[in-house]
Amino acid sequence: MAVDNIATRELPAARRRRKWGEILVPYLLVSPAILFVAGVLGYAVVNGFVTSLFRVDIWTIGRPFVGLGNYLALFRDPNFLNSLTRSLIFVAGTIVFGLALSMTYALLLQAVRSARGFLRSVALIPYLVSGIAAAIMWRFLFTGEASLVQATLESLGFGQMTWLGHPDRALAVVTLANVWFISPFATLILLGGLQSVDQQLYDAAAIDGANWFHSFLNVTLPGILPMLSLSLMWLSFASFNMFDIILPLTGGGPGRSTEVLAVYMYQLAFRNLDYSSASAVMMVLLVINLTLSLLYLRVSRVR
Amino acid sequence: MAGSSPSLPPRRAPVLAMLIRKNLVWIPLAVLVAWSLVPILWSVAASFKTPLEVYDARWLPESPTLDNYARVLQSDGFWRYFLNSVFLALASTGLAVFVSSLAAYAFARYAFRWRHILLIVILVPRILPRASLIVPLYQMVESVGMLDTYAALIVTYTATAIPLATWILTGFFHAVPIELEEAAAIDGASIWQRIWRIVVPIAVPGMITVGVLSLREAWNEFPFVLALTTSMEKRTLPYQLFLLRDRLGIQDWPLVNAFTILTIIPILILYIAFERRIVSGLTSGALK
Repeated sequence: MAVDNIATRELPAARRRRKWGEILVPYLLVSPAILFVAGVLGYAVVNGFVTSLFRVDIWTIGRPFVGLGNYLALFRDPNFLNSLTRSLIFVAGTIVFGLALSMTYALLLQAVRSARGFLRSVALIPYLVSGIAAAIMWRFLFTGEASLVQATLESLGFGQMTWLGHPDRALAVVTLANVWFISPFATLILLGGLQSVDQQLYDAAAIDGANWFHSFLNVTLPGILPMLSLSLMWLSFASFNMFDIILPLTGGGPGRSTEVLAVYMYQLAFRNLDYSSASAVMMVLLVINLTLSLLYLRVSRVR
Repeated sequence: MAGSSPSLPPRRAPVLAMLIRKNLVWIPLAVLVAWSLVPILWSVAASFKTPLEVYDARWLPESPTLDNYARVLQSDGFWRYFLNSVFLALASTGLAVFVSSLAAYAFARYAFRWRHILLIVILVPRILPRASLIVPLYQMVESVGMLDTYAALIVTYTATAIPLATWILTGFFHAVPIELEEAAAIDGASIWQRIWRIVVPIAVPGMITVGVLSLREAWNEFPFVLALTTSMEKRTLPYQLFLLRDRLGIQDWPLVNAFTILTIIPILILYIAFERRIVSGLTSGALK
């Protein structure tokens, strides 16, 4: 969000006669947008923060102030710590697999001469689908004794396996579905990066006798470093807040094995009706997002 | 011909090797394209199968049937959910584009006090994920008695669409030559006329980009409609799809898959029509 790179050019007419009405115009134009954003999103954040300092659930009469009590309780709550761990595994898995996949995808798309535009459109298709639809399709891939995945594995000589009913494998399936859903955007970012690398650098490297791997290491990688960190940021940001994929795919189960932070927060609020603890989880999520965004800003500044 | 030149075979071999190496790219690429498309195609295949056939791991059904689509289209409330989705997407997109255009014009054309601060106030909420806001939003909407209303959904959808829309439109408006406006201003055109008669028509590509991105967001939206609605009259397609999956007992997979495909088709049509705009919008939204 480089705020400064839009230079403002004013209409000379407006500059000449500076009446009160003229001065007010930009504020009037901006005010509806401010009202929506600050009034809905901003207020929601403030409201969530305030709620997290009180005890608000259906068993408590009134709204007693508890200070940081909800947060202290949260970090002693094994279910919260479980969801934090699950989130970290989910995010780490998505980053490792998603980055490798989108990097490969982008490099291959860059390497082909024909049909690049068409293939890029195809690569982006999963990103257009709703999270719910993506989750349903992935659930179907793994459901039943003769599901596509099961049948494929059996034809390769593997035995019958449970997927969504097995805690660790369910987390793996959720991670795969998430990679499928969000990595197309990372591919798009990386492809943009690859296309912006100066072609002459490759020619120079070739003259120096560099093979493919060397020129990847010495030309490509430094050239796309900002895009690489950007897609890294995107993958972690989208995964930490992932909700749409997980709720229809596993509902957080089996047990609590896929209950990541956003899902745990939802369960706290709408199943346990414990709004204050849910708000505290929300604040934890926002702190994570804020940290990631500051990192993002730093990286884009460096560029 | 074969022995005409002894230097030919060694030269031909590298050409062949290069050809193979060049085309070797297509093998991993085919694998990745399959990764992108198989989940969707498998769902399409299942949507044409009978409930008995659906557990055969075969791609092509023996006797393809449109029965599942017919059942979805005739199912209780489908058209209601469809119209809800269409209405919410259009209303929130229209409102977001209108509000964002006004703000973007101010940011593109005026130097005013607090300009940077106001720009930050509008842009920073992009880092707020929808799902994380559902708890306080639910409480807010409940406290003003607006649970289960279209208004609550339109307002929340619009608010989440404004940051990106304002950002993209500011860039597009800024690119509109100011001389055109100066000429109109001399002819006595008001600001309102300059925005809607001069700047917006020139920035139509930007309006389309922003509109399509916002339509996509609203069409696919799930957390807000899950948290803020209670009755089936306000359900959208994604919500109903979620409930279909949630139903106990044996899953009617052909029906669920037909439903899934039907929710994807409108957004796919939009994508095919505006592919380049969407791609450039997404990248410019991400990179700045």
